[in-house]
Amino acid sequence: MRTVSAVIPVKNGERYLEELLGALAREGVDETLVIDSGSRDRSREIARSAGVELLQIAPEDFGHGRTRNLGAERTSGELICFLTQDATPCPGWLGAYREAFTLDQRVGAAYGPHLPRADTSPMIARELSEFFAAFAPDGAPVVQRSGDPSFLSNVNACYARACWEEIRFRQLAYSEDQAFGTDLLEAGWSKVYHPGAAVLHAHDYGTVEFMRRYFDEYRGLREATGHVEPFGVPATARHVRREVAADRRWMSEQGVDGAIRARWTARAVVHHAGRRAFSALGSRSERVPPQLRRRLSLEQRGESMNGSAASVPSPLPPQRHVPQKLPAEVYGVVASVWKDGPAPLLDPVPGMAERERLRLAMVIPRFNRGSGGHNTLFQIFMRLERRGHACSVWLADYQRYAPTDWPAVLRQDINEFFAPFKGPVYKGFDAWQGADVAIATGWQTVHPMLQLDHCRARAYVVNDHEPEFYASSTERVLAEDTYRHGLHCIAASLWLRDLLTERYDASAEAFQLGVEHDTYHPRPIARRGDTVVYYARHSTPRRAVPIGLMALAELKRRRPNVRIVLFGTDEVLHTSFPYEHLDVLSPTQLSWLYSEATVGLCLSLTNFSLMPKEMLACGLPCVELAGVSAESIFGSDGPLELAPLDPNRIADALERLLEDQNEWERRSQEGIEFVASHTWERATDEVEAGLRHALRERERIGAEVR
Amino acid sequence: MSAAETSSEQQLQADVERLRVRVDELELELVEVQARANAAVAEWQERAYWLDRWHLDLNALMRRRGAAELRGAVRAVRSVVWWLRRTKRRLSGS
Repeated sequence: MRTVSAVIPVKNGERYLEELLGALAREGVDETLVIDSGSRDRSREIARSAGVELLQIAPEDFGHGRTRNLGAERTSGELICFLTQDATPCPGWLGAYREAFTLDQRVGAAYGPHLPRADTSPMIARELSEFFAAFAPDGAPVVQRSGDPSFLSNVNACYARACWEEIRFRQLAYSEDQAFGTDLLEAGWSKVYHPGAAVLHAHDYGTVEFMRRYFDEYRGLREATGHVEPFGVPATARHVRREVAADRRWMSEQGVDGAIRARWTARAVVHHAGRRAFSALGSRSERVPPQLRRRLSLEQRGESMNGSAASVPSPLPPQRHVPQKLPAEVYGVVASVWKDGPAPLLDPVPGMAERERLRLAMVIPRFNRGSGGHNTLFQIFMRLERRGHACSVWLADYQRYAPTDWPAVLRQDINEFFAPFKGPVYKGFDAWQGADVAIATGWQTVHPMLQLDHCRARAYVVNDHEPEFYASSTERVLAEDTYRHGLHCIAASLWLRDLLTERYDASAEAFQLGVEHDTYHPRPIARRGDTVVYYARHSTPRRAVPIGLMALAELKRRRPNVRIVLFGTDEVLHTSFPYEHLDVLSPTQLSWLYSEATVGLCLSLTNFSLMPKEMLACGLPCVELAGVSAESIFGSDGPLELAPLDPNRIADALERLLEDQNEWERRSQEGIEFVASHTWERATDEVEAGLRHALRERERIGAEVR
Repeated sequence: MSAAETSSEQQLQADVERLRVRVDELELELVEVQARANAAVAEWQERAYWLDRWHLDLNALMRRRGAAELRGAVRAVRSVVWWLRRTKRRLSGS
């Protein structure tokens, strides 16, 4: 049988100490240590009379954690019981603790209920009864492990010495037991609540003392666990009403009626309201001036006692505890892929790449109206769906940019903003069902997609070289990482394909962006001879808008009568020249604008976008940047007028098209002819071929393995 | 190669072919099931659009205290209204 030591910190505890020590002797505790921290009553005399060991310490040396660690060090029992000076063990208390430590191999601590004494107020008596009853609804001992409540109370608790030696009490002003409970569970120990290990216990404070004690308790709880008690007037009013009603019910059950019940009801209102207020205040004590803080504290404690050098004024500013707000770090999914690798793919099935219908799951990042990348994706995905593939869309929003968008709304928005899509749209992957090909479509989607199981193959539709969207940053590094996971890339231009293969050694092929010819064609409107339209999406840095504006300023200086129209942004830009502003336009509106204008200007510092093709389809010659991606599609002297990233040279190009009618005619006609074959059906063919390639690669690797 | 071996090889080939056909059938079935499931979810999403737009989770709402009682009260009021209408119709002979 394990030996048991009991440790009781005491200060002016004569009222129950004799009763307590008598109960310990009756229960058969092997060793009892009373630690007195400056009692002025008979406490020391009572301890000596009972024949227990007495250790005296200076009041200023007392600390709830420190003194209990000292008690554990000064005793030798394999089990160490801690009691407060007003907690009297009930018969069977020690037997229950001994039993508790047999219920699990790693029991580090056990605790029992606090029963109210006969003169305890109804509020406290009810609270104690209900609080402890909740731990063991069927009355049997309960083993608590990681994930269970961390509650532990040194009013009445027993510790395995091995566990205490491993964890020890933190030096906290209050709630060292709660902190121990948390630490114990985190360290893999279990604890036991045993209803049989009961003590009689109550704090007989007056109303004001109760409030000050709650202030101290919640202040300590904040320091130990970071808990901040919520507070609001309506919620407090509801809480008080509920608690007072429960107190009145409890009193009725206990046979307390009439005037006594009415008197306690009034006390209960003050008690519960004051408790809420002082608990909230205690857990925000750092905002209370030190003088007032000391006055509010029952222990008249002005400063925090955390850390060993509590009495030394700290040069640090007051710390603000920030509770956990997120279930995981924003890019936790990336760390998870780096740590565990991608989910394994399903074994390939012979012939799967050639099947007429495939199960395709497209993972997309968050979108807004006017997102060109998403438009491309849905123009293609909608057509894949029409070809009979079973298509679904999954929004990967681990950055939580769209917390309020629910799936049916996302689906409706996709249909309204981009293209008619008949399949389901999911947010997150809780309902993930597997797919023949899982398709990532942006750097934010790659890592979550790699974690999806039950896939036969994975592919990556790459709309642009996204690392270039960011300065040196986490996002840039993670975007670059997405090309290094062996995914087959289907890139939105030859330039982009070459970049992926050359820089990242990725497997890649290209598709050509299509044009919606039903919408983008010359409209029956007179073509003006003086109008330059510019896609001035200032919020997208890769659009080089400051350069474009400088070019237009130069053009305006040279040709004061030129009419300049800026579109593609809600923001009215401040410029050094006058211009006409149009917001974000619908495709149909754009086609009319392009049909009326003389020259288009659209700059892209990364991959080529849809807009120049759509301008060309409306017969509008367009100026783009030379030396980036446009040459890979149009050649160096094709339908597009290319200019280097220089405002003067761009102004030259614009001026040439405004001045030279023959050149304008040539570019306009060549543009219409060039983009005639650039259709979304063709783009869909190319993407579908890429998806089948990813499946074929899986088959090939599978065959090699076999 | 003996006749027995040839026959066994042919049998094996036939089995492989039969299994291939069966895999093809199952694959087709899988796509079909997935397509139907997609259609069902999409149809439900069409219907749930306004609930999602207004962030209404009716199951969660009905789990709240008093929701069942409120529903019961509405049903009771409705039944009284219906009874009154029926009675009125009966009395007016329409």
